[in-house]
Amino acid sequence: MKRSLPLAALLVVTLLTACTPRPPVYQEQLLTFGTMVDVTLWNVDEVRGRQAVATLARDFEYMHDAWHAWHRGPLGRVNQLLPTGEFFSCPPSIVPLIRRSSELSEASGGLFNPAIGQLIRLWGFASDEAPKGPPPVPEAIRALLAQNPQMSDLQLDGIQLRSRNPAVRLDFGAFAKGYAIDRAIEQLRELGIDNAIVNAGGDLRAIGRHGERPWRIGIRHPRQPGMLASVDVEGDESVFTSGDYERYFDYDGKRYQHIIDPRSGYPAEGLSSVTVFAPRADVADAAATAITVAGPDSAAWLPVARALGVTGVMLVDTEGRVQMTPSLRERIYFDVEPRPDVRFSEPL
Amino acid sequence: MFALVSRCKPMSHWLTKGDWLVLTAALLLIPGLYAAYWHGGGQGLEARVWVDGKPWARLDLFHVQHLDVPGVLGVSHLEIGNGQVRFTDSPCLNRQCIHTGWLSEGGDVAACLPNRVSVQIMADDPRFDSINF
Repeated sequence: MKRSLPLAALLVVTLLTACTPRPPVYQEQLLTFGTMVDVTLWNVDEVRGRQAVATLARDFEYMHDAWHAWHRGPLGRVNQLLPTGEFFSCPPSIVPLIRRSSELSEASGGLFNPAIGQLIRLWGFASDEAPKGPPPVPEAIRALLAQNPQMSDLQLDGIQLRSRNPAVRLDFGAFAKGYAIDRAIEQLRELGIDNAIVNAGGDLRAIGRHGERPWRIGIRHPRQPGMLASVDVEGDESVFTSGDYERYFDYDGKRYQHIIDPRSGYPAEGLSSVTVFAPRADVADAAATAITVAGPDSAAWLPVARALGVTGVMLVDTEGRVQMTPSLRERIYFDVEPRPDVRFSEPL
Repeated sequence: MFALVSRCKPMSHWLTKGDWLVLTAALLLIPGLYAAYWHGGGQGLEARVWVDGKPWARLDLFHVQHLDVPGVLGVSHLEIGNGQVRFTDSPCLNRQCIHTGWLSEGGDVAACLPNRVSVQIMADDPRFDSINF
């Protein structure tokens, strides 16, 4: 009996380890905010998970209603009053969006420009369904461009707001999702949840980790089913992708995507997808749009990425060639054969 | 360490016949457990379908079938088989659910938002915790 003691102890310890239950992962999908929101929580049981996701669902519903540019709601009302040129009381839920998006618009050199709401509407990308075309007539585009709406045209004094330019209409479509994800992560942290992913329509922010390992993220291929690449994320990082496959219409053999270049008034060209890594989701969201507008030339997009403070960028051009910042060299693993032709940019 | 080991009795001196029996049985179990519970890095075996945010069906991905899913606008058609699932038709304008193509990786997801129908591949230890697109 004595002789068997060490082995018995070893077996007991091994069995106890094997019996330790894996911490639960709670996952729930929501159809809200005009998209599918997928929430993954590590080491959170079902009861607590349901409560947390129900809280997020209420917040997302509110934000979706409040921030739609053309629906009856707080932002819709702001857009009705901006052309008057007079001061009015801005709904408090809109004030932080204006402040934050103005900062990001300035940092992007105007390539991310939420003031071009009328242009986005003219192309038909303001509605929930993608347009079928045809493209707007060039005269209408030129007329809007000539008025040059910018976030700097807004004058915000407390909650009193006015626009010095009657052409300004706010559309936060390239920013609201990131801002909403940031609020959701804040909410989860307040509920004591520190290991989570909030993914809204394919764009996500991940905090903490999946127990002993980082979170594993797949990056979908912009032109074929399946994944282009995978990346591990931990701590606190956002991964956002803008692609010409998300919302677009084909007309006369040409694809018109939803991201409008505020300089030309026409959809941005040259890139199939732009994936941006940044600590905050609102930065990643705005940067993905601004870099798509800047185009595939690194001399154009790299200064924008630097100014916005992103930590990594991966671009796929319309020929399938990949560019990325050196910061992603050891992080991105390609899942396709043959491996794409990858070119590294200057460091951020 | 080596000195300590060399002063110990050989393992065979402190293992009984019963111990050897247990150890041998445990070693023999390993290949069986591996085959039963290791699914090749999170490849999905099951898909779940949601309609309007509520669970609607659980699908065996190796049971070949075509499924009509009634959404809020009309019927979405799913094709299932060979460990994959995809949308083949849906009453939406932009057809993004169909362009997503086949899903086979654990954690991958496709949705027809206007029809409020979504499908996600489930796996015990999915290869991906979340998909970026």
